[in-house]
Amino acid sequence: MTFSLLHATDFADRLLYKVIPPLKAGMIVLADRYAYTAFARDVTRGVDRQWVRELYSFAVRPDLALYFRVPIDVSVDRLMARRVKLKFYEAGMDLGWSANPVESFRLFQGKVLDEYDQIVPEFGMEVIDAKSSITEQQRLVRQVIAQHVQTRKMEITDDEPVV
Amino acid sequence: MTSPSSDAPDAPAPGPNGESPAGGYYGRGIPYLPIHGYPGKLIAIEGTDGVGRSTQIQLLREWLEIKGYGVVETGWTRSRLMQPTIEIAKGSNTLNKLTFVLLYATDFADRLEKEIIPALKAGFVVLSDRYIFTALARAGVRGVDRQWLRNLYGFAIAPHMVFYLNIDVKTLITRVLESRGMDFWESGMDLKHGDDIYDSFRAYQNKLLREYSSMADEFQFRVVDARRPINRIQDELRRQLSAFLEPAEKPADTVLTR
Repeated sequence: MTFSLLHATDFADRLLYKVIPPLKAGMIVLADRYAYTAFARDVTRGVDRQWVRELYSFAVRPDLALYFRVPIDVSVDRLMARRVKLKFYEAGMDLGWSANPVESFRLFQGKVLDEYDQIVPEFGMEVIDAKSSITEQQRLVRQVIAQHVQTRKMEITDDEPVV
Repeated sequence: MTSPSSDAPDAPAPGPNGESPAGGYYGRGIPYLPIHGYPGKLIAIEGTDGVGRSTQIQLLREWLEIKGYGVVETGWTRSRLMQPTIEIAKGSNTLNKLTFVLLYATDFADRLEKEIIPALKAGFVVLSDRYIFTALARAGVRGVDRQWLRNLYGFAIAPHMVFYLNIDVKTLITRVLESRGMDFWESGMDLKHGDDIYDSFRAYQNKLLREYSSMADEFQFRVVDARRPINRIQDELRRQLSAFLEPAEKPADTVLTR
């Protein structure tokens, strides 16, 4: 519970200081992870599914939410290739499922991915196949975002004259 | 941010809304911590700042321990995890009403999991100096959505008894000024009603008291008149507590006389 609530506090703080002001100014905000991460992670830790959704009901619904889907094996391989030590909470070591960090990561993140499979249709997230190359993914991301940005681009609402 | 498809709830309706699950969770609870059938008792002492809660709790504790009960005390913002963080945040000028509420809720969750639930499991009487009602009142005054707050605190356990020490603002003001004086947060200075701490204290505490009394029915407060002398209040608390605890202890007596 405290894990969930501390993250919600951090989220609320960033929402109020870093997300809402630029949105009011008509800017584009790119969020690396959003409330969906909490939905997946906290529920995997045993928090009530509906409770965590209600907790985050103060969040702004994104105009577009992308989900980079990757199988657990690919995820583990990539992490192992880049760094030696998995982070304690990232590997779900607090749950005591396995004393081996890599095994714990596989178990925990595997369940997190299962949870995402529910979240994606529930919130209409756009899925990007994250097994493909970076260039390919980026091309797709640009395409999807371009559709959203273009439809909004022409709505210039600033009617205050520049003096 | 709830689901647009609004999936069917998989647990009973959240929020206290009338029913009294004393000793159980108010709402959706903590799925990984089932608490059903725990022998301990949770007693909350509520009331605004400076009303005399700690004095009463200290006296209650002595009395209960002499009677042979194991007693555990817990109090607002006293969690080991959150107390330093909350102090830093209060001093930083960056808190807003939402982060304020969430920090308090985190502190409460920590104490619930680490202090209250283990103590109830072990059969202690838990005396809680303030409970979620303080959070609900403070956030209510600051305009936070009431239903959201009740959902948020759906992981809280409904106390077996809630004593509400009721006082009027006039008596409260003299009492606070006689003891430690008025404090920035207790005066609601963050609400920027003006520079005058006296006026702000009075306006803020008035609103708080109204919030508390609006919760009296919903959460079945036992309202205690806190304007009376300390020992008179204590007598009333003891009388009500005895009436509740003693019948519950009966099975233990039969074991002893066997």
